[in-house]
Amino acid sequence: MNLSVQLAPANTRGLLLANPVITASGTFGYGIEYQDLFDIQRLGAIVCKGTTLEPWEGNPQPRIAETASGVLNSIGLQNIGVDALIDEKAPIWAGWRVPVIVNIAGETIDDYARLAERLYNVAGISGLEVNISCPNISAGGAEFGTTPEAAAAVTTAVKKATSQPVIVKLTPNTGDIVAVAMAVAEAGADAISLINTLKGMAIDVRTQRPILGNLYGGLSGPAIKPVALHMVYQVAGAVRVPVIGCGGISTSSDALEFIMVGASAVQVGTANLTSPRAALDVLEGIEQFMQDEGVGDLAELIGTARE
Amino acid sequence: MASVVSNKQVMTGTFLMWLECAGISLEARPGQFVMVHCGEETVLRRPLSIHQADGGKFALLYAIIGKGTQWLSQCSPGVEVDILGPLGNGFMVYPDSRNLLLIAGGIGIAPLMSLADRAISDGRNVILLYGTANKDRYHLPSGVTEVAATEDGSIGYKGMITELVPEHVEWADQIFACGPLPMYRAMAKMSELKNKPVQVSLEMRMGCGMGTCYACTIRTRQGLKQVCKDGPVFDMNDVIWEEIKT
Repeated sequence: MNLSVQLAPANTRGLLLANPVITASGTFGYGIEYQDLFDIQRLGAIVCKGTTLEPWEGNPQPRIAETASGVLNSIGLQNIGVDALIDEKAPIWAGWRVPVIVNIAGETIDDYARLAERLYNVAGISGLEVNISCPNISAGGAEFGTTPEAAAAVTTAVKKATSQPVIVKLTPNTGDIVAVAMAVAEAGADAISLINTLKGMAIDVRTQRPILGNLYGGLSGPAIKPVALHMVYQVAGAVRVPVIGCGGISTSSDALEFIMVGASAVQVGTANLTSPRAALDVLEGIEQFMQDEGVGDLAELIGTARE
Repeated sequence: MASVVSNKQVMTGTFLMWLECAGISLEARPGQFVMVHCGEETVLRRPLSIHQADGGKFALLYAIIGKGTQWLSQCSPGVEVDILGPLGNGFMVYPDSRNLLLIAGGIGIAPLMSLADRAISDGRNVILLYGTANKDRYHLPSGVTEVAATEDGSIGYKGMITELVPEHVEWADQIFACGPLPMYRAMAKMSELKNKPVQVSLEMRMGCGMGTCYACTIRTRQGLKQVCKDGPVFDMNDVIWEEIKT
């Protein structure tokens, strides 16, 4: 059975995964925390915690709340910063078989370009995932990912700064996600991942105050899967670059749905919080499905529901 | 997976569940916790302190506060519960500490029981100050010297348990506490405790329980800490109490 997938076919370095199951940024730390718990080397790839130029402290407590079939979070990109990542994490990753992709986030276009430069040719890093859900402080705080122009500008700057494979992760909090996807593809993104969390809120009726310290946060988990699936369906029909489906994937059946609407790979996120080995369970379920259905190559399943 | 041995209501809205799982029970240190998957209707696991450990079995003492703990309260003996653990740092008892003062507020008794059990079997002296709202309280297993306080005066001292702390401070080599935030805030203001080694167990909304999602971060005088991985037990004087919200 062939489950391998090339996520950067237009890039001379390429980004070849042994299988399509990736852990989503922010839900699997740096991967290192889980290496003694199960065989993480079997995963398709690991996307690490969103990383900024300087360490970030994140948002005030509380930062997480469960909602119906979902999770609201406002972690606020707490992270160790790119220098500590290069010094402490990348050397460990360099000895791994599983590719590690670094998720990068910034408040200016220059932040993203500098991050890509710092991470260029660092051993242990196979590619970048650009988080464009951050507020663009130089343009008044609207998120980069909400307009095709700003999203393309970030993509162009990152591509100029690195020859490593670049995945751009789209936010669903925009008027026209297809237009944003087409703009980042045009700007040179090697692949597109979607969706990031949907903006959401929850109130504690006893205190009559928002539950999250940041007032609102991002919704993830099974609750958002149908929304994510539709957006992946739309985007996969509009761009030629590989699409990575993400949003509420908890089981292999969820993952197969995304593949069947056109995703070349999938990211497992919130389910990692429920079960650390959720991504591996998804992979094993896909393998079982292919065996049961007599599918020899995963590529045969991509987009089958579109026909 | 852990198999439910028993699950009984021990006071209004509070259950004591014994589970069979040698991997957790034999490894657990007092003050550690587990992450419990409370059925298909929940997404996040619930963090619960290990209340007691006995051979291959361990106990959880939990109050029903939402749909997760409600689900847990319905589990009958024989049911397999998906539990991760033991997690976190646990209490640190110094080898030469003779006298341990334990302070429990309400359901905060949960992690202190295993600490008391261990300390007594190690030959240390334990006094447990246990404060509740009224006489509807958890009946402690025997063997612990208990000083009770109730807010309505129905058992023991009438008032907050923290009011009994100063008279025991001098006796204690180390102090361990678990209770609601107002109890900790009151303790943090006590001049008697300024130079005492006081360890507190914090409760915080958690995501992963393994230090990877950064949901339970707090700022301490030693920098940012994850309650799930660096805690849940912290030195009281390291915590910046004004910033703690749950």
